[in-house]
Amino acid sequence: MKHLNRRDFLKVGAAGTATLTIPSWLAGCASTGAVAASTTAAPVPPNPFLTWFGIDEPTLSRLMTELSSRGADLADLYFQYRRSNSISMEDGIISRADSSVDEGVGLRVVVGDQTGYAFTEDLSVESMLAAARTAASIAHGGGAEAPVAFDFQETPKFYDLTVPWADVGIASKLPVLEQVEGYAKALDPAVTKVQIWWNDTEERVLVADLKGHVHTDLRPATRLWVSVTATKDGETLSGGANIAGRHGFDWYTEEQLRLVAKQAVDRTMVLFDARRPPAGTMPVILAAGASGILLHEAIGHGLEADFNRKGVSIYADLMGQQIAPDFVTIVDSGVIEGERGALNFDDEGRECERTVLVEEGKLASYLHDGISARHYGVDATGSGRRQSFRHVPLPRMRCTYMEDGPHTPEEIIASVDNGIIAETFTNGQVQIGAGDFTFYVKNGWLVEGGKVTAPIKDCNIIGNGPAALKAVTMAANDAKLDTGGWTCGKDGQGVPVSQGLPTVLVSELVVGGDDV
Amino acid sequence: MSELLTRAQDAVRLAQSSGAQGAWASASRSRKVEFTARDGELEKVQEDTSRSVSLQLYVDGRYSSHSTTSLTPARLKSFVAEAVELTRALAPDEHRQLPDPALFEGVTETDLKLVDGTIASITRDQRMAWLKELFEGTRGHDGTISATTYASDHQSERAMASSNGFAGAYDGTQVWVGAEVTVQDEGDKRPEGGHWLGVRHLDGFPSMQAVGAEALKKATDRLGSVQGPTERTRMIVDPQAGGRLLSYLLRPASARAFHQGKSFWKAAMGNEAFSKALTMVDDPLLPGALGSRLFDGEGIASKPLTLVEAGVPQNVYVDTYYGRKAGMTPTTGGRSNITLKPSVDKDLAGLLADTGEGIYVTSWLGGNSDSTTGDFSFGLRGHVVHKGQLVKTVGEMNVTGNLTELFANLSAVGNDPWVYRSTQSPTLVFDGVQFSGA
Repeated sequence: MKHLNRRDFLKVGAAGTATLTIPSWLAGCASTGAVAASTTAAPVPPNPFLTWFGIDEPTLSRLMTELSSRGADLADLYFQYRRSNSISMEDGIISRADSSVDEGVGLRVVVGDQTGYAFTEDLSVESMLAAARTAASIAHGGGAEAPVAFDFQETPKFYDLTVPWADVGIASKLPVLEQVEGYAKALDPAVTKVQIWWNDTEERVLVADLKGHVHTDLRPATRLWVSVTATKDGETLSGGANIAGRHGFDWYTEEQLRLVAKQAVDRTMVLFDARRPPAGTMPVILAAGASGILLHEAIGHGLEADFNRKGVSIYADLMGQQIAPDFVTIVDSGVIEGERGALNFDDEGRECERTVLVEEGKLASYLHDGISARHYGVDATGSGRRQSFRHVPLPRMRCTYMEDGPHTPEEIIASVDNGIIAETFTNGQVQIGAGDFTFYVKNGWLVEGGKVTAPIKDCNIIGNGPAALKAVTMAANDAKLDTGGWTCGKDGQGVPVSQGLPTVLVSELVVGGDDV
Repeated sequence: MSELLTRAQDAVRLAQSSGAQGAWASASRSRKVEFTARDGELEKVQEDTSRSVSLQLYVDGRYSSHSTTSLTPARLKSFVAEAVELTRALAPDEHRQLPDPALFEGVTETDLKLVDGTIASITRDQRMAWLKELFEGTRGHDGTISATTYASDHQSERAMASSNGFAGAYDGTQVWVGAEVTVQDEGDKRPEGGHWLGVRHLDGFPSMQAVGAEALKKATDRLGSVQGPTERTRMIVDPQAGGRLLSYLLRPASARAFHQGKSFWKAAMGNEAFSKALTMVDDPLLPGALGSRLFDGEGIASKPLTLVEAGVPQNVYVDTYYGRKAGMTPTTGGRSNITLKPSVDKDLAGLLADTGEGIYVTSWLGGNSDSTTGDFSFGLRGHVVHKGQLVKTVGEMNVTGNLTELFANLSAVGNDPWVYRSTQSPTLVFDGVQFSGA
């Protein structure tokens, strides 16, 4: 098959970027400082991201001038190109593929607590200038000083792929889906249907700010989802599993593929023996890995600084206080290589970091974007994220996890007389101010007399954030990150995140079960 | 409008000239203006115009679907060429066919009132005035920490064209307003309440002040909330919370779910699986309703679809592909407006008064359901009802069960549909529901 890859697309594209190759991208990502508009000596090649978006530094400067013409404390231009490719397998054949291209620029100006925002998908100068004027209309002062030259910052490499997704053709991907289907079907004769969904995405991002800093990034992401339906003794049940991260094609090793197929089949087959747990308040053991959803809902959202700046978070007055036992340290990091929540820099062009939210039980930091960092007079934590160029950045989580505790998983299970283990999850939610949070347990286990006795399924768990953290009575030494992919929603914006946890005991949570 | 239809028709021709035998294209454009204020001061203004083209390709018995916002002629051309090439790599699938053109016929002559022409001329001053009135409504409580108010207006245009003769277009307008209030409770708790309404026509709004006041009431109603009880009792679901429950019920009501073995509806079809009190219709022809449309995404002319008649599931959502696969006649691929026939001539207040003992659910928190089995578990907020009166504010509790059993135990459907959503739930009353809390 003739494979039209991304570079071929470019060659026939309108941007006149026929010379782009992989090596030029690799060199270009870390390319050096500003290029003066009037260079006449040995020409410095333009940054490939500028070329991609069909813009140059004078255009950036013009847009920034227009954007800040009525005043600005912060201002940024967020250029984004996102190409997403999906393939679906159903009933033994791969007969559907989906692709999308989403490209545009978001223009933001912040004056005090006020934000003006506009975006356009039309990257003509006229259209971008019109959007800049619209965004600028929030302000009523004199113009801020806009940069005339731009300083291209070096990009870290938390997801540096050997082969970019643009160069992986569909012909390479198809056998992967077939392989996974084969593994899943071979694992149990009761499996009647296997659905597989594949996605790879590549984003190109250029962020320019009022100080003249420009950050450029190539952000890959991929996900493989396996859904299984099985029939046994006339009963039909379904389950699934997925793996995700900022990885390339070579991440899909045979071991990975066997693992996700096995997870999907195991999680489905165990349902045939699973029951509802009893209803009411009881100890809940959170299995290592995906149970990081506890942190995401019980505390993570409550520490996003916008909620605290506005005084609407239940954690707003708790900074520096002991909110959990001293063996609890909770981190939100944007710098773990290959994680779905990893970022070379955030969507405001700020360096990402490992932010310690709770240190030995004490509340240590909020998650800051530029607005909240100014408000609190602290450094931003690189947590300003947005779904796309259509959205304003907000303080968001990246990869949220708890570090190892002093106990062992065996000790934790042995300590529980009547409770459950929560193992896999589908979703969660929190009320920031009231502090009530929930997560939905798809698979888990009943614990009776310190022993695991039977599988359970389909129960919602609800608790109150600060109370649940105080009730973390044990944490094991087996911390790990979830291999599945999560998307976090806030104010109508979804962003990819990761999470993790060691085995943890929360002494009291409300389990949605059947009365006994 | 004709410009968008031309764009869609051009995309179909482009697909054909690139090697596709069949193509379906959709071109859309929208404008949105959104104002947000906090404590009466303007906080955010966002204004934008958006457009895209999407395309479904039928190439040598194969199928794929694509969308792009990069619409310069050269980029579009290469995008389509690449998409056609990609399609050829897939397996052929005999069930992938363009929709039957006979289904395009019979588009309603009724004016669905999808557009309010005055929305295009809403001014900044008008939006600021709404925010002010919304904010006024949120005032009057000493313990308020923060009040955020929103107003956004949308205009959308969409046109679709296909290689087998479909050509159609329609516009739509929507305005959404709302308020969110956070109040101080005992200790660190800061309960929040929000109230949002969406309409297609401005005259569908109650007063902005009333919207703000309702948000404040929802927040102050949460003061002093305690953990609810573990018990099996009656559940009264507020019309504003009913939509989510109906959405979970409807999730597996599709040919796709049937064919993939993931639907508890399949065994229930034609049987009295649910309570006689449940008669539910998907009605795309309700004038002015948020989910109304002339035709669906496949061009199938809109008509009402009875999903459940007196407790008996009658129809589900069937699109062309899964209809062919599952041997079912296409109905429509997706939900429009959901309406329920009242079983009693009473609203929320009347049904609460009749209740005696139970739990009145005002909103949900988290939870999910299994579409294959119908097993569900949801977190909730609400009030304990005693002798028909609200006696205690409760939260941090779950309701757990099976959707088939739950809707078999539906004892009353009120006459008070919540019309500011496309799923227009009235008050719902269920008997013998399992709650878990303290």
